[in-house]
Amino acid sequence: MQIKFEQFVTASMLGNQDAPPRSNGELLFQIDWESRAFGVAIALSKKGHYEWEDFRQELIASIAEWEANHCQDDPNWDYYQRWLLALERLVCELELIDIEELETRTQQLLKPTF
Amino acid sequence: MNESSREAYNAARIKALESLLIEKGIITSETVDQVIDFFEKDMGPFNGAKIVAKAWVDPEFKQRLLEDTPSAIAQMNLPRGMAGAEGEHMKAIENTPDVHNLIVCTLCSCYPWPVLGLPPYWFKDPTFRARAIREPRKVLKEFGLDIPETTEVRVWDTSAQIRWFVIPERPASTEGWTEEQLAAVVTPEAMQGAAKVQVSTSI
Repeated sequence: MQIKFEQFVTASMLGNQDAPPRSNGELLFQIDWESRAFGVAIALSKKGHYEWEDFRQELIASIAEWEANHCQDDPNWDYYQRWLLALERLVCELELIDIEELETRTQQLLKPTF
Repeated sequence: MNESSREAYNAARIKALESLLIEKGIITSETVDQVIDFFEKDMGPFNGAKIVAKAWVDPEFKQRLLEDTPSAIAQMNLPRGMAGAEGEHMKAIENTPDVHNLIVCTLCSCYPWPVLGLPPYWFKDPTFRARAIREPRKVLKEFGLDIPETTEVRVWDTSAQIRWFVIPERPASTEGWTEEQLAAVVTPEAMQGAAKVQVSTSI
């Protein structure tokens, strides 16, 4: 049976600690960068740069790290921030990009343009 | 970092990451767009809601939908993939004052994805799966749905062979509504038989 990769990845997370936030059956993105982070992580796996399970494990680890240091109802909890952290760690570990070039590019983008 | 500077940082961080991956030829922005579009436009409960709304206003369509679900859905102008992965073998069943239908998947978590979107978190829960078969009325009551004794409750086990979805009852006081207005009130839970379609009276 043909299974869409996108369906496979979300099904693998449903009902688990790492499941993405949803509203009325749809994925809930509150702000643009969240859907970008979501799309990049899935696209990389879809194109074979890593196994989806490797990303999931990285995400589970980044969530566990937060939980070890914060109260359960900490208002600063942000699912996609953990997602983003997992993504950047994985792409750096796999040497797809270099952490320093990522830092430099981030700073360039944050600079106000006059 | 305050909230707005944190959001600005996160936005810059993912933009930096994506742009570097694109420059290195690792992914393309089209691939990323396609992934996001799939969840936002192609696959979701909004598809099922449109099918239900059409069935409510068009009795002939409803009949076809009940008799041959995939061919009825194929006549609608829905995004590609409706009949594809996990959309094949779909079968619609109708809630009436006499019969209330509930769908579960006792074996795993089969679900008609293309029309219902992502299943609710409890769909995969082993306790829900076992109890829905054993004591459906009690489970429905816990969902806030009190089914009168005079109404028969039927539970349908979705599997790789057949993926059920429920045409809920059309709520009273929606006469003259357009399909679009009707589709807006249909929820995934209602198409699973775990809820009724509610219409806010404060309009």
